[in-house]
Amino acid sequence: MVATHDRRDTHVTTAQPDGSALLEARGVRMDYERRRDGQIVTAIEGLDLSVAEGEFVSIVGPSGCGKTTFLRIVDGQVHATGGQVLLDGRPIEEVRRDRAMVFQEPLLFPWFSVVRNVAYGLECQNVPIAEAARRAEPYIELVGLAKFKGHYPHELSGGMQQRANLARALTVNPRLLLMDEPFSALDAQTRELMQRELLRIWEEWKRTVLFVTHQIGEAVYLSDRVIVMSGAPGRVVADIRLDLPRPRPLEVKRTPRFQEYEDEIWHLIERQVVINFEQSGGGEAGL
Amino acid sequence: MTTVAAPARAGRFRMRPGLERVVYPLGLAITIIVVWEIATRGGFIKRILLAPFSAVVGSLWDGFVVRGWLWPHIAATASVWIVGYLLAVAAGIAVGLLVGMSSRASKIAQPWLNAIYVTPDIALVPIFIIWFGIGFQFKIWYVFLAGFFFVAVNTLTGVKASEGRYIRVARHFGASRRKMIATVILPGSLPYIITGLRQAAGRSLVGVVAAEFVASNTGLGFMVSVAGQTFDTARVMAGIIILVVAGIGTAEILRRVERRFDRWRA
Repeated sequence: MVATHDRRDTHVTTAQPDGSALLEARGVRMDYERRRDGQIVTAIEGLDLSVAEGEFVSIVGPSGCGKTTFLRIVDGQVHATGGQVLLDGRPIEEVRRDRAMVFQEPLLFPWFSVVRNVAYGLECQNVPIAEAARRAEPYIELVGLAKFKGHYPHELSGGMQQRANLARALTVNPRLLLMDEPFSALDAQTRELMQRELLRIWEEWKRTVLFVTHQIGEAVYLSDRVIVMSGAPGRVVADIRLDLPRPRPLEVKRTPRFQEYEDEIWHLIERQVVINFEQSGGGEAGL
Repeated sequence: MTTVAAPARAGRFRMRPGLERVVYPLGLAITIIVVWEIATRGGFIKRILLAPFSAVVGSLWDGFVVRGWLWPHIAATASVWIVGYLLAVAAGIAVGLLVGMSSRASKIAQPWLNAIYVTPDIALVPIFIIWFGIGFQFKIWYVFLAGFFFVAVNTLTGVKASEGRYIRVARHFGASRRKMIATVILPGSLPYIITGLRQAAGRSLVGVVAAEFVASNTGLGFMVSVAGQTFDTARVMAGIIILVVAGIGTAEILRRVERRFDRWRA
């Protein structure tokens, strides 16, 4: 199903806010003080979104639309200045550690081996290091780094570092996995392989994923639903449920249906960019 | 017609690069020693100004082996040096961490650290003697002061340079403050801390000798000072040589410590 909403529409909800969702965002607003001139800027305004357990949901949108900010709100790194974000019905601020983030850069500690890095989340939960390392092992295997667990990050390729980054997040066994453009620093081939790998892992691991990307094809290939956000201040303008069979081989990307989805989302984003451009008097495009 | 090139190894003799590092300085040392010996034995330089190398060696032999008078001095200097240095290291790392991690502590401590830096240590000797008297305690605190600043400031710099992105990761995974220090801040600032340890080792050795010069009745600094006053140039040189060897040895040990952490550095 495709639900498209004009910017002037007041409300967007596809999943029902009946409390059954794992993640529920209602009227989220984010203001911050711009360091340059002290002006209050609204990054997100009136964002509604709900994600059901086990869903793979991607967020796309023009640059600066607040999609990474939203991810950081869900992670609890920053607090929304308005609205509500609920995880399992409870405000996100009160929920301890049900989420884990796969960062845009691998951000592995260079002074720790792969296994110690992957075990880091457990170590922070005061699991003794030896046990944490033992519990990290299946995840290292899952991402295909079993042979490299004793290596240091600088001895790994970019793709392998990103696998370790993923394993580190999986090891804490989160109910909600947050991914912030995790493949954007990889070359095109590695990126495709990592997308396939991620789907393989996700199908085996079956947990909820919230994935931010600016690559439309990536979002369509991976997701059950693609959320399109408006330009700043960001809100949801479209919530597209993808009707593509799983498991999805990379060849899916060359099917007509896949490309239709891609086109549709592309046009939605383009429209947002144009609106943004006109609103800012053509001076500062939201690109 | 073809001409056959002569094999390359028929050319100039080449040493292995590793060997060069040993052979060249050694060659220079031997040259200096030979010139030194000839100049002093041949009467070109007065003995009171420079004892012959063989006399210095004789003095070392006597001090170490025959009569053993060097040992108490070495023991005194080493104990002061080690205790004062270790205190400086412990306090320096602690203060550096504290100051580096808290902006308030940084505001309070920065001017004091600057003050320690610009104060000539030697100017504090009289007040230290008044406080601690002449003896072990005075020397310890003096050495401590000489080394402390370098450990503290380098640690501080390392902590401030520790990358926010790694701290963000640790915070994301819910690291406690202690965990954060142990797994992110300390490892991240280790290269800086080791630089501090190396600088402090040298400075605190200077501190020991200075303290022994002005207020001590034992130690290598005292020994060299007394030998100088009695124009026993051989003993003076013997003392200097021991100090040089100690300095080089320590630097080498610290270099090895540093290399142990090189594995994770790209």
